Amino acid sequence: MESVKKTKLDKKMDIIKQKEKVGLLENKSQNRALRRFLNNRLAVIGLMISTIILLAAIFAPIICKYFPQRVDILNRLQPPSLEHIFGTDKIGRDVFARVLYGGRVSIFVGIGSALGAAIIGVLIGSYAGYKGGLIDEIVMRISEIMMSFPQIVLVLLIVSLVGQSLWNLIVIFILTGWGSIYRMTRAKILSIREEEYVLALKAFGLNDIIICYKHILPNALGPVLVNITLSTAMFILQEAALSFLGLGVPFNIPTWGNILNMAQDISVLKENWWIWLPVGSVISIFVMSINFIGDGLRDSIDPTQQG
Amino acid sequence: MLFIITFLVFLGLELTPGDAVSYMVSPEALANISQQSLELLRDSLGLNDPFIVRYFKWIRGVLKGDFGYSLSSGVPIYKIVFDRLSATLELSITALLISTFLGSILGIISALKKGSVLDNMLTFFGMIGVSIPQFFFGLVAILIFSLRLGWLPVGGRLLPGHETFIDTLPYLILPSLVLGLTMTAGVMRYARGIMLEALNKEYIRTARSKGLSEWRVKLIHGFRVTLSPIVVLIGFRLPMLIGGSVVIEQVFQWPGIGREFVSAVRFQNTPLVMMIALLFVLVMLISSFLIDLFIAMLDPRIRLE
Amino acid sequence: MIIDGAMNDNAIITVDNLKIYFYTNQRCNKAVNGVSLKIKKGRTLCLVGESGCGKSTTALSIMRLLPELSRIEEGKIIYHSDEGDIRIDQLKKNGKKMRSLRGSDIAMIFQDPMIALNPVYTIGFQIIENIRCHTNMTKKEAKQRAIELLKDMGIPLPEQRINEYPHQYSGGMRQRAMIAMAMSCNPKVLIADEPTTSLDVTIQAQIFELMKKLKEKREASIMLITHDMGVVAELANDVVVMYMGNIVESGTLEEIFKNPAHPYTKALLKSIPVLGRGKNQEIEPIRGMTPDPFKRPKGCQFNPRCDYCTDKCFKMPNNFEVTDTHSVRCWYYKKVLGNE
Repeated sequence: MESVKKTKLDKKMDIIKQKEKVGLLENKSQNRALRRFLNNRLAVIGLMISTIILLAAIFAPIICKYFPQRVDILNRLQPPSLEHIFGTDKIGRDVFARVLYGGRVSIFVGIGSALGAAIIGVLIGSYAGYKGGLIDEIVMRISEIMMSFPQIVLVLLIVSLVGQSLWNLIVIFILTGWGSIYRMTRAKILSIREEEYVLALKAFGLNDIIICYKHILPNALGPVLVNITLSTAMFILQEAALSFLGLGVPFNIPTWGNILNMAQDISVLKENWWIWLPVGSVISIFVMSINFIGDGLRDSIDPTQQG
Repeated sequence: MLFIITFLVFLGLELTPGDAVSYMVSPEALANISQQSLELLRDSLGLNDPFIVRYFKWIRGVLKGDFGYSLSSGVPIYKIVFDRLSATLELSITALLISTFLGSILGIISALKKGSVLDNMLTFFGMIGVSIPQFFFGLVAILIFSLRLGWLPVGGRLLPGHETFIDTLPYLILPSLVLGLTMTAGVMRYARGIMLEALNKEYIRTARSKGLSEWRVKLIHGFRVTLSPIVVLIGFRLPMLIGGSVVIEQVFQWPGIGREFVSAVRFQNTPLVMMIALLFVLVMLISSFLIDLFIAMLDPRIRLE
Repeated sequence: MIIDGAMNDNAIITVDNLKIYFYTNQRCNKAVNGVSLKIKKGRTLCLVGESGCGKSTTALSIMRLLPELSRIEEGKIIYHSDEGDIRIDQLKKNGKKMRSLRGSDIAMIFQDPMIALNPVYTIGFQIIENIRCHTNMTKKEAKQRAIELLKDMGIPLPEQRINEYPHQYSGGMRQRAMIAMAMSCNPKVLIADEPTTSLDVTIQAQIFELMKKLKEKREASIMLITHDMGVVAELANDVVVMYMGNIVESGTLEEIFKNPAHPYTKALLKSIPVLGRGKNQEIEPIRGMTPDPFKRPKGCQFNPRCDYCTDKCFKMPNNFEVTDTHSVRCWYYKKVLGNE
């Protein structure tokens, strides 16, 4: 005889059975996706951490009394102290201030590019996907060509042609990034397009544009939201890498990547850890929180997940 | 497709400020030339011809190996590329091997033991790996292993005089591990997803209904089906590999094409930028073709088409 | 657990008061809520009911193939083997004993062979795998046997077909191949979960012929899951009607079709067109809708849609015996039988 042991799963099931019996689970009027999201501990932690960092960046002037550009040669290369929480850099600027203000720019670039790429990708994807035909073909080819370059290479290529600036960078990110959302939206639109309610709408004589944007699009938005979140993380990392190389945002504007640029100098790397280690950690933590949120969103929206 | 890309590259070349002669002819030849001879030279090079003609002439030149000359150093581009190619290949291929094998194995184990402590740990590390900027990871690695512990050299590839592969190894370890491990994280997450999906398929239930052992069900029926998507995965990793090598080569001062690319961009050395970009695209197109071939071998459904 | 004593020398599988609950989405769904049936030797039992009534779940539980987030809460599943009775519900889910039963004593075929067969292995591989798992045949012998099986199932050119992949077969052939795979070790029981639902009507007929032949030649018992009363009429010896996780009526084919004793069965029979009755036959769809499994009616699950419903029906009816093979779970079965 083989005995049946109570596993951990069994115990969880027993709890659910009890709750159901008592009637505890019946009145969940909350949106199912929201409930699943909040159940995901990592996602919630991610949300909290990223909000904290975001708020710190926004309220930088209140938190820190130094300006990021304030040069103070006499106090250069100071290790962390009560005066300067993250110490000072090579020309005496307060590192903590630079991290806070830099956060503003880095996060702005990240979210801005992600939103921009999403807007363009969704608009083009839904219309091209819905209409099909020549427009769709052309846009597909264009996106294929752009996606056959590694993204960094494409970005660097365009930077070398048009030069560096904050807005240039955002535009370039959008140009190189719209492809994946376009593909995704197009696929979703194609699958919904053939459904009956669309044919019915057409039979009623509704304008193509209205059908496309008002009726089909809302159904495709879930994955788009996930994509925006994960793209934000990607763009922040890319901006950091580019600025680290000195080819991203110009040096007069502090960003997280710009600050790390200093670490290219071996002596800084070895002796002045406070100039680059905290920044890098902040980037990692922020990106990780965003990734947790993105993963949480993806799991809660996915209808096949059974939780 | 290739046609359009080469066309775009040529367009980019055309945007080079200054006279096209400066990168089409070696600097030595240009050094002592008079104004009239310059005009003749320009004519003979076809610089006064219409755009399309010049485009085809350029293509012909490229196929023969004439990539033009670097604006900043005057060295023929093909030589630059040639010298650096092997270094980049060393780095990239090592990193590719590490990330593919480590990533898929860990990802699959993670899926097989879903929900266990091991799975959660691996998932967490995977998350970290995907979130840390690659270059930051590299800097930290240098700090710990080169500067503090002194186990490995800080950067570069070889000391002059030592040319064998064994000599390269200490230099290769850190950059390839950094590049490889950060990519492992992504591969691992993806492989886990694929494996979980495969385990959810109907034919897994059919396999169980035959009374096969769990081991056989999961490995022979579950895993086998994941091979094809994993190969696709490698295809998608290639752009990341190229992009990653651009940054990592800079951090570790590895003398590869990536580092050349960065300095070319920095100095607005457009001909070099364009040619290297073209090279990258070619690599990607070739490998995507190879991958399609591989997939056909692995998935019988595709074979017949 | 093996108990001595062949109490039911008629039945090959006995299910007794089986309850299966699902725990997906953090809720508890009582998918199967007290089901008792017998699969008799050499006979075909049809389990019929609407989608979601729990029939597939019952079948899967006999094979212990339930999905991860579900379990058998109560009840017994007994396999009356030649060596004695085996309590399937108490075996370890993927343990050695259960696995030795699967494929060789009890086999199962599924609804859509395209997704139920592994696309990257040949049909031959998948059949031979089953054979070699449960017998001691060599590769060569197993291959021979597989070719014979394919031939038996009516697949032309079996020597060639054995090396082909599922996607190279047509729909009907695939289902035959799956049946061949299931029958490869001469199981005593074949469980078929809607085997013809995804097939053409003409192909359906062929598969039915095949299954009838199998029962006769190999003395297998068949449990057939379906929602189609036409299929039941074709193949069943015994019928069990399920609704919302309970068995509402069970009996032989004649009893159920000629003397339905449950309002649901009666309504079911009235709601389908019958070939030959002409175009003016009355078809009455069953009024109302299948209730939400989380908002079940009290007592008899059919009462919101039932013409005979009274207050008594808020208590779950007992199982009444009309004859010793025909039982029904309704307070008013006499009225139903009398066509009142």
